[in-house]
Amino acid sequence: MTGPAFSAGVRGVMDSVVELIIAGTVGSGFVWGPDVVVTSAHVVPQGPVMVRLPNGQERSARVRLADRDRDIALLDVPSLGLPAVRSGDPTALRIGQTLFAVGHPLGVRYAMSSGILHAVGPLPDGYPLPPHARRLTWVQADLRLAPGNSGGPIADARGRVVGVSTMIAAGLALAVPITAVDALLRSRAA
Amino acid sequence: MPASLSSFSDQLADAVTRAAGAVVSVHARPRLPSSGVHWRDGVVVTTDGTVRRDQDLSVTLPDGRRIPAQLAGRDPGTDLAVLRIATGELPVATPGDPAGLRPGHLVLAIGRTGDGGPRAAFGAISATGGKWRCWKGGEIDLWIQSDLTIYPGLGGGPLISPDAGVLGINSGGLSRPLATTIPVATVERVLDQILAKGYVARGWLGAAMQPVRISDTTRARAAMTRDGGLVILSVEPDAPAALAGLMVGDVIVAIDGHPVQQSDQVLTLLAGDTVGRTLVVELIRGGKPERVEVLVGERPRTRR
Repeated sequence: MTGPAFSAGVRGVMDSVVELIIAGTVGSGFVWGPDVVVTSAHVVPQGPVMVRLPNGQERSARVRLADRDRDIALLDVPSLGLPAVRSGDPTALRIGQTLFAVGHPLGVRYAMSSGILHAVGPLPDGYPLPPHARRLTWVQADLRLAPGNSGGPIADARGRVVGVSTMIAAGLALAVPITAVDALLRSRAA
Repeated sequence: MPASLSSFSDQLADAVTRAAGAVVSVHARPRLPSSGVHWRDGVVVTTDGTVRRDQDLSVTLPDGRRIPAQLAGRDPGTDLAVLRIATGELPVATPGDPAGLRPGHLVLAIGRTGDGGPRAAFGAISATGGKWRCWKGGEIDLWIQSDLTIYPGLGGGPLISPDAGVLGINSGGLSRPLATTIPVATVERVLDQILAKGYVARGWLGAAMQPVRISDTTRARAAMTRDGGLVILSVEPDAPAALAGLMVGDVIVAIDGHPVQQSDQVLTLLAGDTVGRTLVVELIRGGKPERVEVLVGERPRTRR
């Protein structure tokens, strides 16, 4: 291998990514802390969720917290035993810097896709999204996502997770800034 | 290896930062603004397709200020429009060298859609080539296609190299699905004409023609080697062709020394700076070769 490669950063993130199996569909998630997984709220319904680990073992999980408006959720996964991701600061990102996503697009397990940061902030008028969703702050990435990526991490070149893959608008990858996870934890701790 | 990816990542982000200083947001259509490039001091270039009105135009500068703009002119043929803004407001774009592009070269598209920061997309050159005529009728000096996504609002913004040189203006309207870029040379040529006259003049003969085969006997009689040409079907009164004495039934075989067998070859020869030039037209009339000098006129401007 010659030239720059994502492999080192990707390896670090892959070890923390899990698969969510809900009623025949596949979503993604990643480890945030001991026995805690982050994913998208739209991936998990109310009730029990099965989590498949990189080694193929399955664990049953329970939704601990969910913010349906911001579309993120935290799952309790007993005896998970996987390393947590390192997180980065989405407000320190620079437009044009390289990013990658890891997830299970269309059921392809542990696939990475790469690209760059398109913008951080709300989406301009004209994007096919409801106004309230357009006005939220998004980590917008010029990289390819597909159904199954939802809930998976988007990380910088060093493998620091900066967003949670959430949706695709006009081909653009939209991720919830990773800072929303701490905000969710704080809001429920009070 | 992670160090080199990080430095590559930094290089891309640096290129966006540097080039974005000359990228503005253009408000010339409902809802979503498009992007534009501060090409010369006080002059912004964008795509014609994104300028939907002639009045009440404005641009948002990189510092977030929104200032008025006036339409200097547009050239639908090359999908370019030129706006004037106050001078001295922001740096001008640094041109790069699109002639050196080859498939595989990495490129970035930059845009600005309001008072936020710049927006960027990344990809590689897919195909390159020489002069071509786009479906809108204009001549584009280089064929530059890339695999990057022109997201909503990125049209009219620049394609740049990783060293921040501007390679051209990205057009969402010229072709799909690949992104097409109007190269620096075409922008400069169109810009000069629009700033001088307010529009781009195109050469005009005023004759309708159709491809025709030249029979072996005619070819032998006229002592010609060409087996095809363009037969004149009609000549507009007082048009350059009429003034030069061209007649219905003449078969044009060459203009200015270039063989012509298709009408788009004539359009190509009349593009650029032919208005006011005298071109030699070689033709067959009544089975005999003739040479006629035509003073090229200016294509009448149709109302948009």
